[in-house]
Amino acid sequence: MSASHEPYDTFAALHAVGALDGDDLREFETHLATGCARCATLVRQTEQALARAAMAGPPEPPPGGVRERLVRRAGAAPGRPRWLAWTVGLIAAAVAAGAFSAAYVAARYEARLGQMAREASAAKQRLAQSEAALHDELNLLRDPTTRLVELHGQTGAAGAVARVLLTEKAGGLLLATKLPLPPPGKVYALWTVAGDSPRVAGVFVPDDGGRATLKVPPEATGAPVRVLSVTLEPEGGAQAPTGAVVLAPR
Amino acid sequence: MLNGADLIHQMAEGDAEAFARFYDRYAPLIYPLILRILPDAGDAADCLQDVFWDARQRARTYDPARGTAEAWVVTHARARAIERMRGARRRRDSGRRGSPVVPSAASPPGALDRSLLSRVFERLPDPQREALELAYYGGLTQTEITARLKQPLGTVKTRLRLALERLREIVRPA
Repeated sequence: MSASHEPYDTFAALHAVGALDGDDLREFETHLATGCARCATLVRQTEQALARAAMAGPPEPPPGGVRERLVRRAGAAPGRPRWLAWTVGLIAAAVAAGAFSAAYVAARYEARLGQMAREASAAKQRLAQSEAALHDELNLLRDPTTRLVELHGQTGAAGAVARVLLTEKAGGLLLATKLPLPPPGKVYALWTVAGDSPRVAGVFVPDDGGRATLKVPPEATGAPVRVLSVTLEPEGGAQAPTGAVVLAPR
Repeated sequence: MLNGADLIHQMAEGDAEAFARFYDRYAPLIYPLILRILPDAGDAADCLQDVFWDARQRARTYDPARGTAEAWVVTHARARAIERMRGARRRRDSGRRGSPVVPSAASPPGALDRSLLSRVFERLPDPQREALELAYYGGLTQTEITARLKQPLGTVKTRLRLALERLREIVRPA
């Protein structure tokens, strides 16, 4: 997560309302397929907000007859989805549509295949990244010089806990739980103090469940780290801590 | 009283009574949305019926962790109505080649206008509300809105983003 996350915030909002198209849509779908929790959350929050807004008007009595038809149909139909009938119906519809407009169907399938290929490629990339990350984490645990620092939630993040595995040469890893989502335009920043001044070791946003993982690069340590803390910072980043301390050692 | 997620769960088990209760609870709330997108009462009624039948068939796929029952059914209702509206638009376009029809989302149908306009959308600044209504009720993409409003693409994106940010603030649960 960094300042370069824009324009995905905009894409996420527009995607939720179905307005994204063209290259923007393709770029966002590829990005989403990499597992960006921030974007998935934004899309979901925007969909929820739109649903609430759409239902905020006065109710309107539905037309007569619809309920009766539905209830009668449901009573006659088995509880389980009639997948066979649906499948036959869909195939018949596809054949009819194909006869009517083969080019249109082919174009749609090509587009879908293209999208599936992009998603498969992104999934493969994600798997390779996960494997590499797991390898690094195991090495960190094996390293006898690794030490564990616990950070605890401060005002506004009570209950949040982070554990930081830290080495002087190979960097480290932050694992946080129960962190609230930062306000729009803000991210969490991890700071290390090894010399006189703090260095930012990375910025992050937790997922829906308040969990976050951040790899700490070796250059963020390099010397014995004396202090670790997490603050709330603007999305564009900061050279020194400016926001409220969210996680700190006891 | 059972919540929406419980009703969906029971629907998935084939409970016809739960299905009827689900309809009674949500049909009056989503019917205005469908009418806003499909002003023809016959189309809107057919769409409403499709939405609830779909909900029954898709009940097993509902995951409460991914959103509320309200959002689940409203999102699907809107998608179904837009799909139906686009189908009608394509049929009209093929009937009069060279004069594509853009739905009049910013100028909604007559008598029902005031009662159907979402109170929340009315709290947005006019340029943002206009862009959002074209997208949400009109089913237009950013490119289509750009052509419709004769505004640069960047302006349309910004208006939509700001509208949706404001919307999230307005409807945020207390």
